[in-house]
Amino acid sequence: MSVEAVIVTNEDAARRRIGATAALAAVVALLALISLGIGPVRLSPLSVAEALFGGGNEVSQVIVREIRLPRTLLALAIGAILGLSGASLQGLLRNPLASPELFGAPQSAAFGAVLVIALGLADVRSYALPVAAIIAAFGSVFGLLSIAGRNAGLLILILSGLAISSFAGAATALVMNLATNPFLVLEIAFWLLGSLEDRSFQHVILALPFIIAGAVMLFSQRHAFRALSLGEETAQSLGVDVGRLRLFVISGVALGVGGAVAVTGTIGFIGLVAPHLMRPLIGHDPGRLLIPSALAGSALLLAADIAVRIIPSTSDIKVGVLTSIIGVPFFLYLIMRERRALGGGVA
Amino acid sequence: MVAVAAALAMSGGPASAAPLPRLVSMNVCTDQLLLTLADPEQILGLSRFSRDGWQGPAAGDLARYPVLSGGAEDVLLIRPDIVIASAFDKRSTRELLKAKGLRLAELAVPRTLDEARQQIREAGDITGHPDRAAKEIARLDAALARARQAVSEKHYRVLPLSRRGWVAGSDSFVGSLLGETGLRSAAGDLGFAFGGFASLEAIVNLRPDFIVVSQAGDYARDDGQAFLLHPALERFYPPQKRIVIPERMTECGGVMLADALDALTAELRRVGR
Repeated sequence: MSVEAVIVTNEDAARRRIGATAALAAVVALLALISLGIGPVRLSPLSVAEALFGGGNEVSQVIVREIRLPRTLLALAIGAILGLSGASLQGLLRNPLASPELFGAPQSAAFGAVLVIALGLADVRSYALPVAAIIAAFGSVFGLLSIAGRNAGLLILILSGLAISSFAGAATALVMNLATNPFLVLEIAFWLLGSLEDRSFQHVILALPFIIAGAVMLFSQRHAFRALSLGEETAQSLGVDVGRLRLFVISGVALGVGGAVAVTGTIGFIGLVAPHLMRPLIGHDPGRLLIPSALAGSALLLAADIAVRIIPSTSDIKVGVLTSIIGVPFFLYLIMRERRALGGGVA
Repeated sequence: MVAVAAALAMSGGPASAAPLPRLVSMNVCTDQLLLTLADPEQILGLSRFSRDGWQGPAAGDLARYPVLSGGAEDVLLIRPDIVIASAFDKRSTRELLKAKGLRLAELAVPRTLDEARQQIREAGDITGHPDRAAKEIARLDAALARARQAVSEKHYRVLPLSRRGWVAGSDSFVGSLLGETGLRSAAGDLGFAFGGFASLEAIVNLRPDFIVVSQAGDYARDDGQAFLLHPALERFYPPQKRIVIPERMTECGGVMLADALDALTAELRRVGR
């Protein structure tokens, strides 16, 4: 990120940004409509629209309003918070490889939720689940940033992230290992794959408050990210309290990712991919990148969730599996691109 | 079954003059059979899940029986006359026990009511109490007759639905059990022979008269149970549209089938009102 990219704001760039953001919003809206129209039961677009507004027969009304609508809303909100979390972490660390999943946040959140499920402490549709997930996610991101230190290079961040996500994975495996109920192990295994299928408004109510709170916290820091891109000292001289900013970002990411994971299981790589797709369109200003990244996240998750309903397969593909299958090669591509920064260079 | 027959032949028929065989059970399903058919003195150990609430109240005081680890070691130490295991138990353990010269009776999980009767009879021979087995089979047949009676006047179309949307097909045990009573399973309409996962949308769209579930109540311990409590499903299937047959009665297809059928009869009376 060069200084010019932040300072130079000519009208052309502004127009392009607004145009790109508007186009993106339109894509998200379109995908949301498609998502409402697709499901195991074939409904014509007309009857979907009718059912959505309370017309048509009771069955199609229930299918559209109580089965498909919550699914679509969750994809929209969770995709957005994942994209926003990724863009915020990348802004905070001034590092394009930062993202919640590489830091082990979803894996840790999953561990928190799995622990609650395994101990049978509460109904899976209670607030115990998101709260546990948020605490675990906060612990992981906080731990990572403490271990890696303030000005950690890429390598240290990635390595600590790897260690933390492995640890969360191992802890989850231990919980499954110790579970005495064979059904429970299966449930947890399924849940870890990440899915938006057959969710209800109970889940929306469960996750949305945390996602909104997280989004507000992250978005409120947009000016700080911009100042920070000029360097930590410059940012401090501009009045940015970097310590406070870090705490805000960690809390925002934990709230958002924890709330999301608690109702869907782990859905990865949206946070890594979304900001990267936006940079060529929007530029490198991390403050301006937040909203487009959130929109891109929504679009990606909606598209993935539509894809799992369309791809023909003997049993349904989980959306978390699909995002990882696509996300990991993308991650590898980024590593290749960042090879020099990682210290290897072209041999 | 061949193994059992061979085992019995070698032992010269435990039901005759010889003392009753000492037994251990490796599996919750075989636990049920032993607790019903064998004398308490014959039982030297039950499976490690035997105290997890799988047995009915008829099983009596379960604390009097030792609980096995699930591995081979303690069984080798006990050296029972016959080890009763399910074909679903760990193969390595079963092979090891056989290699060490223990007599194993491996019972399959029955697929039909006839196989269930056959298995109860077989277990009666193993434990040396064919008379009790005959009584259990008579109890099963009586319960079946009562269930048929309850079904006969109605032509209900029902969907057996388990956690996560698993639907037992008409070729499955639950499917054939429902079929025996005269209930029509809607599973076939979903294209399931043995069984499969159905989406909420498909179930809501199918609109069977009742869904057959394994538990009532409003508590979801995990996602699989939460599926059955989804608002869309609860709207069309409130408690008076749900036939509840506890899982432990149907899962094994053994002596508790009679209880399952009686539960079905009682539920049909309840929802039919």
